[in-house]
Amino acid sequence: MIEDLIQIAKRPLGYGSDGRNIDVFDDDTFLVSFPKSGGIWTRFLLANLLYPQEPVSFRNIDRLIPELEFAKRRMLKRMSCPRLLSSHEYFDPRYRKVIYLVRDAREVARSQFRHQRALRRIGDKRLAGNHAIEQFVTSFIAGDGSDYGSWGDHVSSWLVPRQNANDFLLLRYEDMEAQTGLELARVAEFLGMKASQDSIAQAVERSSAVQLSELEGDERSASADDSSGHDLAVGRPGAAGSWREGLPETCIADLETAWGPLMKWLGYELALAKDHEARARVEPVSPGAPAR
Amino acid sequence: MMYGVNRTAKYLLGKDIAGRQIAVRPDDTFIVSYPRSGNTWTRFLIANLLYADRPVTFANIEQLIPDAEAQSSRYMKRVRSPRVIKSHEYFDHRYPKVLYITRDPRDVAFSYYNFSRKYRQIPDDFPLERYVHDFVTGALTSAPWGTWAENVGTWVAARNGRPSFLLIRYEDLIENTETELAKVAKFFGLDPAPEKLRAAIEKSSAQRLRELENKEGSEWVTTKNKRSDIPFVGNAVAGGWKSKLPASAVAEIEGAWGPLMVSLGYELTERAAGGSIGL
Repeated sequence: MIEDLIQIAKRPLGYGSDGRNIDVFDDDTFLVSFPKSGGIWTRFLLANLLYPQEPVSFRNIDRLIPELEFAKRRMLKRMSCPRLLSSHEYFDPRYRKVIYLVRDAREVARSQFRHQRALRRIGDKRLAGNHAIEQFVTSFIAGDGSDYGSWGDHVSSWLVPRQNANDFLLLRYEDMEAQTGLELARVAEFLGMKASQDSIAQAVERSSAVQLSELEGDERSASADDSSGHDLAVGRPGAAGSWREGLPETCIADLETAWGPLMKWLGYELALAKDHEARARVEPVSPGAPAR
Repeated sequence: MMYGVNRTAKYLLGKDIAGRQIAVRPDDTFIVSYPRSGNTWTRFLIANLLYADRPVTFANIEQLIPDAEAQSSRYMKRVRSPRVIKSHEYFDHRYPKVLYITRDPRDVAFSYYNFSRKYRQIPDDFPLERYVHDFVTGALTSAPWGTWAENVGTWVAARNGRPSFLLIRYEDLIENTETELAKVAKFFGLDPAPEKLRAAIEKSSAQRLRELENKEGSEWVTTKNKRSDIPFVGNAVAGGWKSKLPASAVAEIEGAWGPLMVSLGYELTERAAGGSIGL
């Protein structure tokens, strides 16, 4: 009740954050990703590219590329246009220009599990062995408790209507890691920027610390797992493909059964599910090469 | 200086339109479609199945199957569970159970054009081709539901194939009303006995709805204070676009959404260029 009243009072003062309900302008650009898909690092890369005059840190990132979930209404209104905003929302028709960052569902599941563990949102001590992560993956697939739908909901809700639109750019986190400079150059072109090799190299360089800390975050939560006595193998966190070590086979099979066709379409090789098993519970976008 | 005072006041009084902010309950069922896709007809069919004991009219349809985009959050709160709710929203992951109705976008476009005239959003002489262009590009001011492809595409992509999702084509509903309604009845956990279906179909016929609109249209929340010379209940036919839409408008729709239309079984007049937006 009191919580409610505080929320209500915040609104006219502009202190609340509107999340999904922000006022969208036609010239806004959105960096959209499902949580734990490498959005923070990508945000830093973009901010360092767009604002080379000052090194970007956690102190000013929220001013340069605000995150909708936390940004105050008042602040968003005062930003100069055109704005670049970071969002976790599933499809919103008002978003005209969108950079969509996608990451392998298996990796996202592993990363979210560790993250939630570290925040102590999940973690039933009574569950031995792999049970905790299995339970997590089941609700992850169903999208339980997620404000943004499930991974499959999120990805397909953006890809199906927009994949071929001129003002939609699909980025794979795995490609960002493997060839950061090239991918960042694509983003620059999408944003209509003339970015030199040097400025891209500088942005990559200036963001590497954040990439590391995002990795370390994973690492820390991983060691939290270890201290709680659970037997979870630690791969190189954040590195593409490390879900192979972090996820039990049953979880991989479940994820691939739920979203196999969509994952394949995105270029993520399936490890377990055979084609006929990966029935499209989520009938994904049509076959054909991803737009890249 | 004060942001959204109006909205805040409405929120406090519970008078804000429920719409996308509706508080969803786990036992809700939603009848979802893009506007002008046969939602009202389906709503009457289902209401007549659910409440076979009383006449369903425009005067009581909002009590039986309320419209989330016309009613306030307070109103929606007071509807008893389990609720059946009408909605035009594009994909919302919170909706637990969804009957989705899709209709050929070429027919939707023309029907929407007349609807916009009825609502005085455009003058009578507004060029149809320009309207269709706005329809395709999502520039209609009256469409917070996304474009046709965004609305249909997001739902079908995320939910089709699940037991909690039923996809019905308006065209099939017109052609094989009883067969399709039987599917709907089963989806709602209702007895699909032929005589019950036929009674509901009879009571929801286009002719009856037209009569009801003539009588009660000035009271119903959706048609109140709107032009009465253009009916809300449309012609209830499939393929009317063939004689109504100019070729350039048809080409624009097919060019933009061809693959999605094909995957839903809507034949194109010509091979649509490029794109792989299908499902």
